[in-house]
Amino acid sequence: MTLYIQLLLNTLQIGSVYMLFALGLTLIFGVMKVVNFAHGTFFTAAALAIATVMPPAMYQLGLPVWAAYLIAFVAALAVVAVIGIVVYQFGFQKFLRDLIGSFILSIGLVLFLNGSYLAIFGGAPQKVPPLIDVNLSIFGAYITGQRLLLVVVAVGVTVGLYWLIQKTKLGLSLRAVAEDQEAAMLQGIQFRRVALYGFLIGTVLAAIAGAMMAPVHAITTVIGDEFLIKAFIIIIVGGLGSVGGAIIGAFLIAFIESVGGYYFDNSTATIAMFVLVMVVLLLRPQGIMGHAER
Amino acid sequence: MLNGKAGLALCILAGLGAIAFTLFADSPYYVQVVVWIFTNALLAASLRFVLLIGELNIATAAFFGIGAYTVGIATTIYDWPFLVAIVAAPLVAAAVSALFGWITLKTKGPYFLLISFAFTEVVRLVYSKSNAIGGNSGLIGIFPPMALDPWFPALVVTIMGGTLLALFWIEKTNLGRLFKAIQNNEDIVRSVGLNVTWLKVLCVIIASAAVGLGGGLHAYANSVITPGDFTFFVAVLALAYVKIGGEGHALGPIVGAVLLTVAGQWVAGLGMQENIFYGAIIIGAILLMPQGLVGIAARVAGVAVRKGGEGTR
Repeated sequence: MTLYIQLLLNTLQIGSVYMLFALGLTLIFGVMKVVNFAHGTFFTAAALAIATVMPPAMYQLGLPVWAAYLIAFVAALAVVAVIGIVVYQFGFQKFLRDLIGSFILSIGLVLFLNGSYLAIFGGAPQKVPPLIDVNLSIFGAYITGQRLLLVVVAVGVTVGLYWLIQKTKLGLSLRAVAEDQEAAMLQGIQFRRVALYGFLIGTVLAAIAGAMMAPVHAITTVIGDEFLIKAFIIIIVGGLGSVGGAIIGAFLIAFIESVGGYYFDNSTATIAMFVLVMVVLLLRPQGIMGHAER
Repeated sequence: MLNGKAGLALCILAGLGAIAFTLFADSPYYVQVVVWIFTNALLAASLRFVLLIGELNIATAAFFGIGAYTVGIATTIYDWPFLVAIVAAPLVAAAVSALFGWITLKTKGPYFLLISFAFTEVVRLVYSKSNAIGGNSGLIGIFPPMALDPWFPALVVTIMGGTLLALFWIEKTNLGRLFKAIQNNEDIVRSVGLNVTWLKVLCVIIASAAVGLGGGLHAYANSVITPGDFTFFVAVLALAYVKIGGEGHALGPIVGAVLLTVAGQWVAGLGMQENIFYGAIIIGAILLMPQGLVGIAARVAGVAVRKGGEGTR
């Protein structure tokens, strides 16, 4: 029993990071029809920003750990938002709805940004102190307070995103553009502005995931890329552009990873995920929640 | 300018020149660079071949690896003769790609792109998990027969050049025209009674057989292969060759491969960050010259080239 609860808790904590990551990807795809391989670099930038800002804020300014983290968190979001705006204005804007062009651009960005991170920060992994240094026990299963916080934030952000997409005017525009760009433009929706907002929301989601992951994971200059292949599997299984699909897919993949990782090992779990993708494709080529690709 | 018989003759002449160079050059290093150029050109041409039907096939890297591992396993574990191993490489790659294509080509565009990416990474994981084929450290000691050794680079370049010509030739036949028609509007192709899915699978099989052969030759030329040689990054570089050369013409990927391979050697010599260099080149190329060098050359010469990068939706 304890084992099952532990595996469930593991699924929850892995899944919540995957969810944030995949939601950003799927949102960007839905609005811009762009497959953004550079999504991981936003995640990395946020984690690196935390690692850069937090220690001096704590040791030189003498701030308590939560205040230092809060400042670093804001800095991380700002850095990623700036990168996002620059990348959109000078790059992706020219490749809206151009799958191959935008893919190539995003690959160029991955190489360029990851290379730059390595040149600036070096290859050694960095660590920052945890925010909450307690372990919680639930029916004999353990979870660190830090990771529980991560789950809570991820769920909160997802609820917020859901509200934004379902209830606000911007959300309506995002959905309209994702559904049919030309019809949306005929209704007076400014496609380019909506695409920019969609892209920025997606990058900020990656930044939140990266900033939340920083205190629980060794921070390297390629930390974000580890999530890329799984995030892609998640959005294929869930259906490209589908928010609900990304959430279901994230926890499904996290479940396979935590159970497969416990009984076998991580590589076997990844191979199992791929087999799952193939089965889903044979049965439902458009993913669990996706619409038919026409 | 590039489409006429003169252009083809020029290409064949350049190929013969390369073969002669590998036979008579003194420096093993330059011979090696020529072999790399041809390997990269073949990778890029194979990637571009699937672009004819409008799909971006990252699994090009996987089939390159499958060809290489076929030769590696056949030579080091089963002691098969050279000729059998080198024929097996494209056959195995073609067979796996048939299954892969049959399942995945029901999807298209972004789905196919992402699945081919995931496939490449998973195949690599399978290699590194399989201890019988060397796991993470791969296979060593894949040598061509001793008698072939002096002219082996020339043989590799000849076969690869021939494969490039074959891909070019298929593109010019009616089959090639059908592939392009599928990219433009597959419903029209379907409406005249052709099986579009089967044609797409055939396109992937042809491209994979070509690149599988290339992988097999690469295994012999390198004599060591590891799972890390066949990441999706191989296909990304191939895409960079295609984009820089220009995808509107079969010559584009070859021009791109020559330029970037030479430039890559130069950068490696400088000890600069290679990734920043490739990243900057790819970003610059896609932003400044979306039709590549061959596109620019054609525009200068006043020849219209099919606009690349569109038609995928």
